[in-house]
This record gives sequence, structure tokens and C-alpha cells, in this order.
Amino acid sequence: MSAIHLQNLVKRFGDFTALKTMDLAIADGEFMALLGPSGCGKSTTMNMIAGMEDPSEGKILFGDRDMAGVPMGRRGVGFVFQNYAIFTHMTVRQNLSYGLRMRGAPRAEIDRRTGAIAELLQLTPMLDRKADRLSVNILQRVAIGRSAIMEPAIFLLDEPLSNVDAAFRAVMRTELKHLQRQFRQTMVYVTHDQLEAMTMADRIAVMDHGVLQQVGTPLDVYNNPANVFVARFIGAPGMNLLMGRPAESDRGLVVDLGPLGVTPPLPDELAAALRARSGDVLYGFRPEQVSIAAEGRGLALPVNFVERIGARTIVHLGQGAGAVKAVFDNDVRVAIGETLVVSPVAASVRVFDAASGVAIGGTG
Amino acid sequence: MSAATDMTPAIAIIPTQKPARDESARLGFRLTLPAQILVLFIAVFPILMQLYISLTDWSPLSGTDWWNAWELWNSFANYTDLVADNRFWSAMWRTAVVMLVCVPAEFLLGLALATLFADEFPGKRLLYSILLMPMMVVPAVAGYMFFMLFQSGGPVNDILSSLTGTRVAIAWLSDPTLALVAVMIADIWQWTPLMFLILLAGLVGVPEDQIKAATLLGANPWQRFTTIVLPKMKTIIIIALAIRVIENFKIFDTLYIMTGGGPGVATETISVYIYKVTTQDLIWGYVAAIALAILIVLSIVAVWAMKRMAAARVAA
Repeated sequence: MSAIHLQNLVKRFGDFTALKTMDLAIADGEFMALLGPSGCGKSTTMNMIAGMEDPSEGKILFGDRDMAGVPMGRRGVGFVFQNYAIFTHMTVRQNLSYGLRMRGAPRAEIDRRTGAIAELLQLTPMLDRKADRLSVNILQRVAIGRSAIMEPAIFLLDEPLSNVDAAFRAVMRTELKHLQRQFRQTMVYVTHDQLEAMTMADRIAVMDHGVLQQVGTPLDVYNNPANVFVARFIGAPGMNLLMGRPAESDRGLVVDLGPLGVTPPLPDELAAALRARSGDVLYGFRPEQVSIAAEGRGLALPVNFVERIGARTIVHLGQGAGAVKAVFDNDVRVAIGETLVVSPVAASVRVFDAASGVAIGGTG
Repeated sequence: MSAATDMTPAIAIIPTQKPARDESARLGFRLTLPAQILVLFIAVFPILMQLYISLTDWSPLSGTDWWNAWELWNSFANYTDLVADNRFWSAMWRTAVVMLVCVPAEFLLGLALATLFADEFPGKRLLYSILLMPMMVVPAVAGYMFFMLFQSGGPVNDILSSLTGTRVAIAWLSDPTLALVAVMIADIWQWTPLMFLILLAGLVGVPEDQIKAATLLGANPWQRFTTIVLPKMKTIIIIALAIRVIENFKIFDTLYIMTGGGPGVATETISVYIYKVTTQDLIWGYVAAIALAILIVLSIVAVWAMKRMAAARVAA
């Protein structure tokens, strides 16, 4: 068991800075997801935690221990690779016992612990099968078991589900979360799939272009994105963001969206924060937090496209800078070309500084 | 039989070949017929011819054409002669000694070099080209090079002299043992690069993440090498060894130019012996018998290698 502290971590590859001053504290036993698009520096961060790469600057602490100079074999880190990196020329048993055998553990202990981990992961029936013809979920269990048998304080998982087909991913997610509860280790999980991060992680660290954007619980990053990147990245579809200028009206502070008209009045707290500053803003709201309003009480937009995805219907409204997506129940009656008046749920509205992209006002 | 039954679950996963339908089999046969005829003429026919001649006393000086060699039929006399032929057995033994020294030496040197070249280091590209050069030298030229090097007034003795501080004048190629050593050094010099090249290809193909995984599980470099790298390279190692065993068994050009099989018969390997019997003694029926015996030996090596390779492929 171990907490992880990343302090001012920087990684440069030649002229390219893969990671810019990352500070992150991961608590003991926490499931932390590093989430971001490819090239955001999440894998680099993970590789540095594992010791596969050395940081250019900054420190990595496990508990109080500085990991600088500690080789990867001595860090007590379990690592699950994207493709699992199972030793295909060995049996499942040989894979599971590999670490113990390399360490020269007594034979009786190897047998006992291999048996125990196989039992835990339900691998006992296939212990003596060659590892090159196993299905993906068994490979995942072998990969986890092979690391878990060493009782690592920290588990690192590098996009373990990215090679799995969509239907099976849900099964694997459940299984993985279940395993984490069993092992209770600190887990760092790298993924570009927000669904994986949202469903499994205790907290999510959202990254982009080598910069840590926001750290928070799944609901926190969904409800209160710290900036425009997080707002757009989290959620499917992402948050609607419309450029506008705060304006006073007889009903309170609103945002003047130009040709799209004027928004419904902002909640008091947000209005207060907006009155304290000046300049253009981005008016944001979740597609799921939209209701169809009466004439004159919301944004009137033409329906461009309707995506019916079964349980829900995604309606694409407007075009270009004024494009808005709205998610309704599957039985919503809309037709392409008609004009829909939509109104965001007041409590869900978020406002961002247009220049910096940073969220304005208190969160929540 | 019970062992085979135990294995069935593992084997059942391998897609088993269904009995080919007659029609497609017949079409396949027709399409490959030209190739089959070609193979028949370049491989099967000479072997049958060889077998035929090996049962006779035929030679180019017999005054009959080879297909009439039955007139000189001697049943298995050539083979019984062969069993009693001391020069043949000593040539076989010598060939085996050369092979048992050269092939392992080439393998170990090649593997060490391949391991070195799997990592980056300054000057790697240049060194790589230099390292491959021996392989590209025409063996006869290499033979002449080493013939010059090992003269008693040659560079090898000069270097030994300056290293030891005393004048060294070893007559390398006229000493029975040292001549064999010199020949083996030349072979190792020329063919280690091939071993290196093949093994490097195998080494590069070892999945890097499995090596990383082993490292993360605490395996030290030696353990990683023996438990991951070598098993993964098994197939390619078998190929490399088989190529070199077969080639080394036929060692001729370099050796013949360096020593001519001498002094006496001290470096007479099986190929040199066959060459001499063919060109000097002209008893071709006997040569055919020797050659067939060697073909059988080499076939055993080839079959062994193929079986091991098939096993390794199933394992990997």
C-alpha cells in the first residue's frame, strides 16, 4: 500500500515537452484514472511512475520514498500492459509464478501463492494451458495475477481495454473494478476512454498536451469542468459552448449570444461572479440538461440532424459557432428543418472566460 | 497413448486440416505439375542416378556411358569398402571435430555480437558494415588471405612476436594440429557474421514489452535473457544452427586453398576427400557411395532441425 506523489514532474524528449510540470497526489488505495486524448502525456506519466523512463525534472514519491534512481524491477509496481505482454511461450502457471521464480522464492511458497492467486482469479482450471491461445479476459486476468502475486503496492494499467471489442469492454470493466476491490492497491489507470474512467475511477486526472487540466471525482469533472477542454472532452457528446457577452436584463443577468438571441437569466451566484469581471464569455451547458421551452423563453434553433441511438436521441441544432447538441428521450418528436426552442436547466449552466477558457464562478 | 490423449484439449484448438476435397486437390496437382517436374529433375533424378552409379564400378574411364553402368554392377561392394575405409572415417571424424568447434564458436560469438548490436551505441552503423564484410569475401579469396596470414613469416607470427617479445616462427600450416586450428579460425572468421545477422534478426523480433514486463517482475538481465529472449529465439536459433552445421559439414574452398587437406591428411575433411577421390582416383562409383552416405547424414540433421522448429513454433 502506498500513496503516490508527483511533484513538478517534467518530461522532455529532445525539444518536445511531453509533460509540463505535473503535480498530482494519489492517495493510498485510490483508483486514479489518467484520462486524455492520445499524446496528452498520460502514458509518459505512467512510464515514469513505473521507472521505464526517467523524469527530466521533478520528483516521484511513493509514500515518503523518493523513487529517483530506483530501477523498475525494485519499485514494487505491478504493470498491466496495453496488450498484456503475456509470456506466450509459457503456461499460465509459469506466467503467474514468474516474478517469484526470478526472485528465487522457495518452491513451496511459489506453489502456494500461485495456487492462491489462480484461485482468486478463477484461473485454476487453465493453469497448465499454454498462454498463447487464451481469450482476452483470461489474458487480462493472467496479466493482473502475474503482477498481483508480487503484492505490489501500486498497480499501473496502461489502456488495458483498448484492444477489446466494445461489447466485451463492459464485462472487462466490471471485472477489473471487482479485482481492484479485492486487491485494494493504489491503482493508476491510463485511458483515453472517458467511459472507463468514469465508471471505474475514484478520481480522474484529465490531461491534454502534457498539462494536467483537472483532478476530481468522475461527477465533479462532469458537473464542474475546470476549463473548456475538460467541458468538451468529458461527456458524450461534450458540453455545448456558445460565445457571448454578459448583459443586464429586467429578469437578471443574461448572456447575449448575438444572432442566437439571449439566454435565460443566470443563477444568482454565477451572475455575481460575472458582474465582478468583464469581457466575452463562453456559455456552457450539458446536452443532457436541455428542455424544450415555450416560444421566447430559450434559444430558437433549427434542427439540423437527428441521431437516434436507441435509449436516447441526440438532436443537432444550429450550425458553426452556434451549433448546439441536445439529448432527449428516444420518443422525442423532432423533424429536420423545424425550429426548436430549447432552454438549458439553470443549475447546470457553466460559464467560461472566452480568452483563457477557465471556468468562472464558484463550482457547484 | 495416454500422453497423447492428455494433450487433446490443447491440440483441439489448433485448426486441423480437413481432408482436402478431391477436386481442388486435383486442380492443385495440375497447377503445380511444372514445378514438380522441375524438382524431379534437379533433386530426385540426380539422387537416383547417384544411387545407381554407387552400386557399380563405373568411372568416366570405363568406356561405357553412365546409363550402361549396370555392366559394371558390383552390388554393395562400394558400401562394404566404405565401411572398411579408414581414410573415409578419419575424414568424417575430422569434419565432425571442425563442426563441433566452429559452429558453437560461431553461434556464441554471433549471439554475443547480436546482443551487443540490439542496443544503440556510437559508431554502430559503421561497425555493423565492417562486421558483415567477411561474409561477402569469396571463400577462395578468404582461403588465400588466411594462407598468407599463417605463413611462418606471416602477420600472425609477427603479431605474436611483438606481443610476446620473442621471435615466433610457428609453421602453422605444416603442423598437423595447428593447420586444423588455422582452418577453423578462418571458418569462424568468415561465418560468424552470418550467424550474427540471423540471430540479430531473431533478437530484434523478441517483443519488447515482454522484456519490460519481465524487468518489472524483478528479472535481472541474465534471467531476462534465459527465460524470455532465448526461448523466443528458439526457432531462429535452430535455423541458424542447421544452416551452419550443413554448410560447415561441406567445408571446402577456404580449407583447400590453405592446406590442400594437408599436411598429409591432417586437414582432410569429407569434402576434400571426395574431391581427391573424384579427381585423382577417378573411382566414381565409390564417390557416389560416399556422397550418398553424407546426404543421409545431412538429411538427418535437416529433419531434426525441421522437427525442432515445428515443435518450437507450437511452443512459441
